[in-house]
Amino acid sequence: MKKACKYTLAAAVLVFLLSQSVYLKDLAEVREQRRREAFNAAQYAGDFWLNQLPGALDNAVDITELIGLFEADMAQAIERYGKAPGVSRVYAYLLKGEGTIVSVEDDALKVSVGTPHTNPDVVIETGFYIPGNAVRDASGLVDVSSFSDTMKFNEIGGEINKIIVEEVIRPFLAEKPAAGRTVRFFGATQVAQDAVEEDSLQVIRIVPVRLELE
Amino acid sequence: MPRRSFILTVIFLLMLALGCKQKDDGAGTGAGSQGKRKMAVVISTLNNPWFVVLGDTAKARAEELGYDATIFDSQNDTAKESDHFDNVIAGGYAAILFNPTDADGSIANVKKAKEAGIPTFCIDREINSSDAAVTQILSDNYSGCVELGQYFVKKMNQKGNYVELLGILGDNNTWNRSKGFHSVVDNYPELKRVAQQSAEFDRTKAMEVLESIMQANPEIDAVFCGNDAMAMGAYQALAAAGKADKVKVFGFDGAKDVIDSIRDGKIVATGMQFPKRMARMAAEQADEYIKGKRDFPQKVPVAVELVTQENIAKYTAYGRESEQ
Repeated sequence: MKKACKYTLAAAVLVFLLSQSVYLKDLAEVREQRRREAFNAAQYAGDFWLNQLPGALDNAVDITELIGLFEADMAQAIERYGKAPGVSRVYAYLLKGEGTIVSVEDDALKVSVGTPHTNPDVVIETGFYIPGNAVRDASGLVDVSSFSDTMKFNEIGGEINKIIVEEVIRPFLAEKPAAGRTVRFFGATQVAQDAVEEDSLQVIRIVPVRLELE
Repeated sequence: MPRRSFILTVIFLLMLALGCKQKDDGAGTGAGSQGKRKMAVVISTLNNPWFVVLGDTAKARAEELGYDATIFDSQNDTAKESDHFDNVIAGGYAAILFNPTDADGSIANVKKAKEAGIPTFCIDREINSSDAAVTQILSDNYSGCVELGQYFVKKMNQKGNYVELLGILGDNNTWNRSKGFHSVVDNYPELKRVAQQSAEFDRTKAMEVLESIMQANPEIDAVFCGNDAMAMGAYQALAAAGKADKVKVFGFDGAKDVIDSIRDGKIVATGMQFPKRMARMAAEQADEYIKGKRDFPQKVPVAVELVTQENIAKYTAYGRESEQ
């Protein structure tokens, strides 16, 4: 009996010591934390914005040329200017241009880049969040294969969009853009290869990289 | 030495000799029946029709290209997957078309095959490594769910309570889908997520999980599911509770029953992945590798397309009408 008590006590002490030296955490949480610690998407996006993207803007295609090419020969447009990170029917384009503001909406500017400046043919996103990866993909500068996991690749797109809101859209809106004024822009758009056949090319949506009122 | 010990020693040495197969210089000899080379198709689970299509298509394409192909079911278990890799290595396969069970846990298996000279081609699910597989053909889940999220916001008129059913927590697809969706939806403060829980990509689990969530949160307007199997399970739970007409269900995959359900007006939308396209690509790239090509991009995202009740006519199960 005495022996049994001794063993029980020893076992209890052992269990107590073990419980104090071991803790349990969700494996998914630990992995996510490690991944975040090892990679800083905001830093990567900041470097992309300051040091890489400006050079790529030199190759931005003029919006009127691009619209003409979409209508005349989509395959040529894709070959010359389109970029996609993998297999896709949707291609991203880095573009530039200027046009007349037709209207200022809650989260977009409707802009006419043709003459006589009445019908809007592009929409420039000016909302306080930008979804998707148009700028990352149109730049062609971020290679998915260089990342061990695609979540990092996607986080970069999100961080680039945050920079666009803070450094492009907010300062631009502070200048009070209004209908009738001229806006100069650099930006990115994504267009499906069958957009013409599917009649979805009436208005091109642009994520801005630079915006300037004349 | 006693006779029994001697026999056991001989058997042990024979097994050791058979196990220590010499490495070859590239893709292995992989000869199967009638001198045909062999491709292994290792699939995370065959308990989901989407993965059955993925595996069957990879096998069929490998056979069209002149290989003997065998499907191995890992049953979402990395230990079983590891056993399959051991068998594939011992069986002298020329290549592995691989749908991993775990982004981190499956890396060791791919490395093991690489060390044995057998190239691995990942399909749909990712491993968190840039130098183990030859290439990884992956659905662009994040972008697909950005588009799905935008449609969700539109259909919900920017407000309402919703439940999110996650897939397997160790799979990158789970988080890429969830993060893509939230990158849009979280910008609308009147859209409130009342519960987020894993149903492990499983139809029955999704039904049980949603039933339990609805006990605590009876007033929900939508369910966003990380795959179509869970969307069907969620729909079943809602139908049993008499809420199927009121609560909007969104899936992700493009599986047959969800495509049919979108057509019937039961499910609102899904993200169409292209399992047949990805499986064919993997088999073709493995064939090219075996024939000497070495220059492959490490990761190839394959775009996901939004399927809704408005554009359902363009789609069929697992793909576009135009590519069937």
